[in-house]
Amino acid sequence: MQNQGKHFPRCTAAHEGLVSCHVCHKLAPVKQKTCDRCHTPLHVRTPNSIQYTLAFLVTAMIFYIPANLYPIMNTSLLGELTESTIIGGVLLFIEHDSYFIAAIIFTASVLIPIAKMLILIWLCYATSSASHLSGSELTRLYRVTEFIGKWSMIDIFVVAILVALVQVTGIMSITPGLAARAFALVVILTMLAATKLDVRLIWDKQLQT
Amino acid sequence: MELSQQHACHECDLLMALPEKLSPKQALVCPRCKSVQYTHYPNALEHALSFSISAIILLIIASMFPFLSFDSQGYIRTINLLQTPYELYQQGFVLLSFLVFAFVVLLPFLYLACVLALLLPIRLQKMPLAPVQLGKAISYFLPWSMAEVFIVGVLVALIKASEAADIIFEGAFWAYLAFVVFFVATANVLSKQQLWAWIDNAKPR
Repeated sequence: MQNQGKHFPRCTAAHEGLVSCHVCHKLAPVKQKTCDRCHTPLHVRTPNSIQYTLAFLVTAMIFYIPANLYPIMNTSLLGELTESTIIGGVLLFIEHDSYFIAAIIFTASVLIPIAKMLILIWLCYATSSASHLSGSELTRLYRVTEFIGKWSMIDIFVVAILVALVQVTGIMSITPGLAARAFALVVILTMLAATKLDVRLIWDKQLQT
Repeated sequence: MELSQQHACHECDLLMALPEKLSPKQALVCPRCKSVQYTHYPNALEHALSFSISAIILLIIASMFPFLSFDSQGYIRTINLLQTPYELYQQGFVLLSFLVFAFVVLLPFLYLACVLALLLPIRLQKMPLAPVQLGKAISYFLPWSMAEVFIVGVLVALIKASEAADIIFEGAFWAYLAFVVFFVATANVLSKQQLWAWIDNAKPR
């Protein structure tokens, strides 16, 4: 009856002319415009998924530059101002021999955002050309990226708590730096990029070849 | 086969037949990409309700009482949870302040409130108000709730500040910690599959 789904890989809902609601996962015939359970507009694949993901990613990368160059936190002790960048904070912990905390901050603020951006670019690439990784390996990569995304907010929360807690008028105070704003935007933008990426596009490509 | 007995994997779009019944804590896993579709919890309604009621009470307690104290050579400062975003706001960091407030307090609270507004009437066998809108709100709020991340942030901040002063955990900190446990438990029990099955049953026909 419908031939429009046949270019999708076999055994997929799309091949059978069905579309799954991305909010409530209910199946519907492909010609239906909105989900009859939750009224969400239905799409076989997220429209312009890769374009959205890449747009968010590029913006995140641009914001990641000031996030590292500018101080994330300014400490003033007896009128003396110390500005610390993200990397500076990690180095400070290493100097004080707290390797564990240094590792947490380094992982959350440097490793995770960079790894996330690189993996998402790679996954976007895998929707348009065959990859030497299998579909399930690529899906696992996506799942990990999606899961770890929000953990990068740790550094922002650390700054927020220190700013509220360490305020001794005239003696000691902490204020957030310019990088804090930029870094918060990086985290949000990479999370948006991950939610916009439709993994099923990767499967469509990988099963085709 | 009827559409309601079929399911498409949300990660690889594999079409599969829904099993008649899963045993307790058994999960439906996509045979192709191995992603967990949902886990069957027996008495999910009662569990989700009791977890979310506990969580919302603990969150209210956590935002009303002192959270942390800072003691630097006799100078003592005590803050509560909401002061964290408020202080950022005072210093002109409006965006950061709003984000911290939303991720740490507002979105978890709205999530729990929606869960309660939906599940309490269902448990009492009454019609919930706007079940579909509540169901959608629940799935939109969850990915942006960062309560568990905030707890780790607090611990890292304490280690940073511990050089300058003594930090004391106050009651609200422990309440927030317990809230995180119940919050995560609620989200864990409430699978989308389960949630929308309840909404389907609650909708007027």
